Amino acid sequence: MDKVDTAVSAPSSSGNQFVTAVWAIVWKDLQIEKHTRQTVSLMVMFSLVTVVMFNFALETELDAARNVATGLLWATILLAGTLGLNRSLAIERENQNIDAVLIAPIDRRAVYLAKVISVTIFTLLLEVVLVFVFVIFFNKPFWQPVVLLVLFLGTIGYVAAGVLITSMTMQTRAREVLLPILLMPLVLPLILPAATAVGEMMTVQPDMSIIRSMVSLVAAYDLVILATGLFTYHLVVES
Amino acid sequence: MIQIRGLIKQYGLNPVLRGVDLHVPAGEFVTLVGPNGAGKSTLMRIVATLLKPTAGEVKIGGWLMPQNSGRVRRHIGLVSHQTLLYGDLTAAENLQFFAKLYRLDNSDDRVAEALKRVGLAARQRDAVRTFSRGMMQRLTLARATLHEPDVLLLDEPYTGLDQDASALLDDLLRRESAKGRTILMITHDLVHGLNLCDRVAILSRGKIAQEVASGEVTGAEFLDIYAAQTGRKAGMTKANG
Ligand SMILES: Nc1ncnc2c1ncn2[C@@H]1O[C@H](COP(=O)(O)OP(=O)(O)OP(=O)(O)O)[C@@H](O)[C@H]1O
Ligand SMILES: [Mg+2]
Repeated sequence: MDKVDTAVSAPSSSGNQFVTAVWAIVWKDLQIEKHTRQTVSLMVMFSLVTVVMFNFALETELDAARNVATGLLWATILLAGTLGLNRSLAIERENQNIDAVLIAPIDRRAVYLAKVISVTIFTLLLEVVLVFVFVIFFNKPFWQPVVLLVLFLGTIGYVAAGVLITSMTMQTRAREVLLPILLMPLVLPLILPAATAVGEMMTVQPDMSIIRSMVSLVAAYDLVILATGLFTYHLVVES
Repeated sequence: MIQIRGLIKQYGLNPVLRGVDLHVPAGEFVTLVGPNGAGKSTLMRIVATLLKPTAGEVKIGGWLMPQNSGRVRRHIGLVSHQTLLYGDLTAAENLQFFAKLYRLDNSDDRVAEALKRVGLAARQRDAVRTFSRGMMQRLTLARATLHEPDVLLLDEPYTGLDQDASALLDDLLRRESAKGRTILMITHDLVHGLNLCDRVAILSRGKIAQEVASGEVTGAEFLDIYAAQTGRKAGMTKANG
């Protein structure tokens, strides 16, 4: 039996190979979104409804509404985020497409990273809209760079955890329900400091030392969860 | 090219493959048949590096799996039950995506050439969602062969195709076979499978019960062999592919 010799004869830099694979999958997800415009519009629509409903519920006490604005912002992002995650997974499940990706000669970690990147992009687009809406509805300075930074970092960690959970629950029947049930507790250590940091920025005189430590907690969570995802994803998708 | 020895696969405690031995030399076209639930797709998913065997030895191109699955993936093309295509992408975009994943050189030319080969050049800008079953199946074959794999795996590629589409797929498969690819195909259309390939392997009760070279028996004789090996009436198995 002759060995397939070309198998080892294409050792162009493996880092480059990794980036190409990540980019291929992100490109594919963006292309699908360009055609359907489903993910972002679904997330935005859902968020707007949530915000408007809360606004009505709290209308009698505008001050109360302002004080819960930070919590409401994160809650909206988390819930809309699960929509994005489920949709991103549905694309790969539609015709069992993930099989075609998994038999391609690419590093499994590239699949994980690519999915994190594309869902993060969609969630960040949603957040651009949300920041505008929250500034208008609640008249609070959500546009501050520090707030945007926390949103950015928080989104990465949230999506990184979410992609890991969706890949685990992919084969189960109750996956849409399981996702939030498993994901919310997992991201608690991320959302608490993130919400605290944003909340602090809404006060008249934000305490920068609190914010600094909260942001480092968020960044640390990002690193830990991304590393976990990268090192365990192949175990999760293989059987 | 594909060497399987003593392959065992269990799902939990449920044994599906109980010691499969199968050898497909380079360039040969082997059809795998067997009753529903015999484990044909399971066997194919193991060869395709999507599943890990519970025990036993699987070698592709001399490389032991699953340790070397990263090495052999480039040389495998898979047409499975499902199309593995993105409905929201166009035909061309689907192929471009896989060209990128396989890091193919001059991918634009390859994609254009592949679309022409399967007769879909005119529809390349349409979303795959709008395609008929036959068109999807041809595009699936184009996707599976885009990177010129040495081994082509096909799991019931004829499902849902009408006569014209089947004839077209026959033609495409014969051409792939003529290019020297090693082909392993699953089908339920026994006589059709027999005629198309070099050899048929019957999978029954978790083992390869018998192998039959296609020149050696007639269709009717093969149906009898199949019935004897699987304990089923041949007439019931002629249905679709
Ligand atoms: N993921 C899985 N988990 C548990 N059992 C499974 C799984 N996949 C398949 N099986 C079981 O393994 C057996 C073989 O399934 P497989 O799909 O390989 O059969 P098949 O020969 O391809 O059948 P068909 O002709 O219907 O396609 C079946 O009994 C099936 O229920
Ligand atoms: Mg099957």
